Amino acid sequence: MQSVSSAPSTRPLRLNLANLSTPIAFIITILIFWAFSPGHRFLDPRNLGAMAKLTPDLGVVALGIGMLMICGEFDLSIASVFPLCSYVFTQLLMAGVDPFLAFIVVLPVGAALGLLNGVLVVRTGLPSFIITLSTMLFWRGVLYVASGLMPLSILPYVPTGSAFAELLTGQVGPVPAQILWFIGFAAVLGVILHFGRFGNWVYAVGSNQDAARAMGINVAWVKITCYMIVGLLCAFASVMQAARLGSFAATQGIGSELKAIAAVVVGGTSLRGGVGSMLGIALGVFIIQAIDNGLILLQVPVFGVNTFIGIAVILFVILNNLTNRQFAGQ
Amino acid sequence: MSASLSESPELLKMVGIHKYFGRVHALRGVDFSVKRGEVVGLCGDNGAGKSTLIKVASGYHCADAGQIFFEGREVKMNSPRDARALGIETVYQEQALCPHLSIARNIFLGREPTNSLGLIDRQTMNTDSMQALANLGLHLRSPDALVSALSGGQRQGVAIARAIHFQAKLVILDEPTIALSVKEVREVLDFVRHLRDKGVAAIFITHTLHHVFSVADRIVVIAHGTTLVDMPTRDTTVDDLSDIIARGTLGD
Repeated sequence: MQSVSSAPSTRPLRLNLANLSTPIAFIITILIFWAFSPGHRFLDPRNLGAMAKLTPDLGVVALGIGMLMICGEFDLSIASVFPLCSYVFTQLLMAGVDPFLAFIVVLPVGAALGLLNGVLVVRTGLPSFIITLSTMLFWRGVLYVASGLMPLSILPYVPTGSAFAELLTGQVGPVPAQILWFIGFAAVLGVILHFGRFGNWVYAVGSNQDAARAMGINVAWVKITCYMIVGLLCAFASVMQAARLGSFAATQGIGSELKAIAAVVVGGTSLRGGVGSMLGIALGVFIIQAIDNGLILLQVPVFGVNTFIGIAVILFVILNNLTNRQFAGQ
Repeated sequence: MSASLSESPELLKMVGIHKYFGRVHALRGVDFSVKRGEVVGLCGDNGAGKSTLIKVASGYHCADAGQIFFEGREVKMNSPRDARALGIETVYQEQALCPHLSIARNIFLGREPTNSLGLIDRQTMNTDSMQALANLGLHLRSPDALVSALSGGQRQGVAIARAIHFQAKLVILDEPTIALSVKEVREVLDFVRHLRDKGVAAIFITHTLHHVFSVADRIVVIAHGTTLVDMPTRDTTVDDLSDIIARGTLGD
């Protein structure tokens, strides 16, 4: 009986290193801004508190985008689905619907918008980049016409300190509710992705969808489900943001589509699918937010911040590619 | 009557299979069979129809006409899932495995064992994976290694181990030795012998007659969508067959 030589013996060690690259990048980012921000204000409790309220608006959506990208697809339409859900929520409130009920109605609306994206991508076979660019433009137009670009206050329906506002934007001790929701979503999606059967299918579809299909996995269903998760998270985050701002604004979500991709990619997710982790994605969200916030503390002009985020994304992706290439033995 | 049917020596029997793709008549009434525990070599030039025939046998395509019998009973297969439920596993050449997934996750893809919480039972998955590979004579260090780190021969081993772990009665190997080094080819041919030793039937599709001659009990040649040759390996030679395949006809 012939036995075949085993895989390279350094394999497990290499794997661990690859998984550590994002946490290390995260810690270095934090240390840099801590060291250089005036009076080390970056890690000041008040600054941390502000970041913990702001980060989850985009972060919750980015978690879903990350899962979708692991299965090999994109979603640019979040930039419009996000404010559209917020608009629907606001309209329901203005029609006299209880905020809790309106919230429960908006979640499936978001999921349905995700379903539409997913079905279009699966049925047409066109690149998801093109499909979701189109749905982004479509819903943006619908939203502008419907809302007339007028901001709408929701404070009369969801006053500060009301039970609903507290649920989404309150505090648990010193910790803002938003960051707890973010961590909660990351934990649930992380369990699904890394320990559940569905997660295994998500990786398989992103890695080699023909193989996944040959093994009896319903590739279309996996993709559509990922799109619906993104839509659902969009709906959740948009209501959370509206509750924090006290209003709906038609400009909510602009630019979020690319920032979400930036966060996910910085977190070690491959643009080609099959590679990524929920911890990495969550840390990627924090890294992007830390750069955003840290640069402002360093008194970089607000309008120039994107320049640095652009540079940072390239650097992080190069770093990830270097580690991945080394570890995948290619 | 029905008793004699289920005793049929034929594991898989395909009768008068036709398949059209638009105007292309890819299969023109092909008869094909595999006995229990038999290794059948399936040969033919590019475009001869062997891939189409195999895709019909593995549930990927539906035949437009003809009958398929498995273990003596007529069956209808509308998806690879149906074929797998019968015990027909297909190992496709390029699309067999997911490179970014671990060995264990590939072996159990789509059939992941779960614990009481509905989460993947990694312990069972890892132990069973290593056992399935060892049964094939393949000893890999860790079930957590990514498939992208394996050699071509090892990948075929993982794909075949997956098939027999799930009690396949018939394993279809689609060009398993293509693009492999000489040493890797020898490994894969060993895997096929292991299969036969375990009483699992196999269809071995290849362009390379030398490979199939060393393991197949019977050779079938397809040309222009029909069966050209169907004879025991010992009754023919590599030279005779390569001549027939090149000409695409039996005529002298």
